[in-house]
Amino acid sequence: MPMSADREIAVDYLARVEGEGAMYLKLRDDEVIDLKFKIFEPPRFFEAFLRGRKFSEAPDITARICGICPIAYQMSSCNAMEHAAGVHVAGQLAALRRLIYCGEWIESHALHVYFLHAPDFLGYNSAIDMAKDFPEQVQMGLRLKKVGNQIMILLGGREIHPINLRVGGFYRVPTKRELESLVPELEWALDAAVNTARWVAEFPFPEFERDYEFVALQHPEEYAIHQGRIVSNGGLDIAVDEWEEHFEETQVEWSNALHARLRERGSYHVGPMARYSLNSDQLTPTAKRAAEDAGLGPVCTNPFRSIVVRAVEIAFACEEALRLIDAYERPTEPFVPVEPNGRVGYGASEAPRGILYHRYEVDEEGLIADAHIVPPTSQNQLSIEDDLKAYVPGHAHLSDEQLQWQLEQAIRNYDPCISCATHFLDLTVERDAAGS
Amino acid sequence: MKRLVIGLGNPYRRDDAAGLEVARRVRTVEAHQRMTSSYELIDLWEGADDVIIVDATRSGAPAGTVRHFHPLQEALPNRAFSSTHAIGIAETIEMARQLNRLPAQIVVYGIETGDITAGTTMSPVVEQAVMRVAEEIDHA
Repeated sequence: MPMSADREIAVDYLARVEGEGAMYLKLRDDEVIDLKFKIFEPPRFFEAFLRGRKFSEAPDITARICGICPIAYQMSSCNAMEHAAGVHVAGQLAALRRLIYCGEWIESHALHVYFLHAPDFLGYNSAIDMAKDFPEQVQMGLRLKKVGNQIMILLGGREIHPINLRVGGFYRVPTKRELESLVPELEWALDAAVNTARWVAEFPFPEFERDYEFVALQHPEEYAIHQGRIVSNGGLDIAVDEWEEHFEETQVEWSNALHARLRERGSYHVGPMARYSLNSDQLTPTAKRAAEDAGLGPVCTNPFRSIVVRAVEIAFACEEALRLIDAYERPTEPFVPVEPNGRVGYGASEAPRGILYHRYEVDEEGLIADAHIVPPTSQNQLSIEDDLKAYVPGHAHLSDEQLQWQLEQAIRNYDPCISCATHFLDLTVERDAAGS
Repeated sequence: MKRLVIGLGNPYRRDDAAGLEVARRVRTVEAHQRMTSSYELIDLWEGADDVIIVDATRSGAPAGTVRHFHPLQEALPNRAFSSTHAIGIAETIEMARQLNRLPAQIVVYGIETGDITAGTTMSPVVEQAVMRVAEEIDHA
């Protein structure tokens, strides 16, 4: 009988992810004995220190959870407070929110596509090494990211933790002329994004498909970003305030981030692939063409191809931003009054990495009595582990080094933001001798 | 010839603010304060011929020690300049080198920190170092 061997692959600090995490894998032949995607970023206690703060402080406090996706936190918390007050922010104020969110998608996706994920496919350890051989692409990535930042600066006051968003709208709304200053770079960026999609579509993709339950916001009139119902390809179609009836969070000892699951069906997938697969018919025309040219069907189930979906979403966000600027008329008031006192509010929006859910209980004095925040990466933890478990058996013949590389790449398919989910990623593969 | 000072740091981590404080105090040179040291700096120094970067260091030297680094001659020691936010100044400079976007002259001042706990006041020795560096830049 051939001697089978257990192998152990451990990555103690995962690189090119936002935050601190690790991976551990134990294999016997091609069988996975143990696999853990570990988040050891220390807990950050945001939900606890929101208690007792004024409801109006939630957007600025929660924005500090993430330097990459602060707008997501600001939008989800504003949505929740407005929901509590029964206020719906519409018209040009909603358009401006969508516009600044496009800025965040552009900067976050450009960072991930060019600097975090592309090196995996091209065989480089870092974007700096990749820049030696692909200087034009890296310059393009830098400039794309800058375009996203410029939208955030113009509407938000600064690109990291913007200061101009508030419950009900903005502190100051821009003039049309100010917004039009963004147009030339956005036109360049739209072209660049189409070229990006073309470039990444040629990367070598491992053959790997999974039957995901995709969960994303959906809105009848638009490719959902800042508002919508929560839907899935498994038949889910609920209002945001029904989240807790359908989803639950459980604690596991190897992660400082709670694992979210569908109560009835377990693991699910949020992020660009979920959005694209549920809503691709609502993309803007150029983004649709880019998707077609890149060979994406209406649904994408190979997580390695998420890099192509991100590039398509950059094109979408640029085209959508141009449309919003063209249709802009400066609102007379920068915000609508919101009084959520004594109520409970629910809010969700599509962070670059997927749905970000917030729930707040506000007391009679307008102070936050309870806060609940579920970031996209905690929702994707189970899906990440399921991907790795499904990927390993067909690839166990690879050397530890190759297997580790591909598994790390598979984790980066999700653009995990571990800081949000709690913060960093670190991989162990263990193979040990049979009978030991 | 365009000179530019970029001060880096976190204003809420005491001595880590040393670079920001130098940028705030220089009088004769265009100066920017930045809380992050990411690739955006490459755009910030575009068009400048002589760039001075001031950042806090943690190398184990006595607090207030000022060191000069010359990235055109050799890479920065990554460990001394690490950032808690993924991309530190050492990596940004290496990226700029790959893209041929380093300025004609660039010097990095590292001011060694003592106390980087939460707070907005610096240790006296680091404050003295900040004053020395600002003066040195103003009178260069």
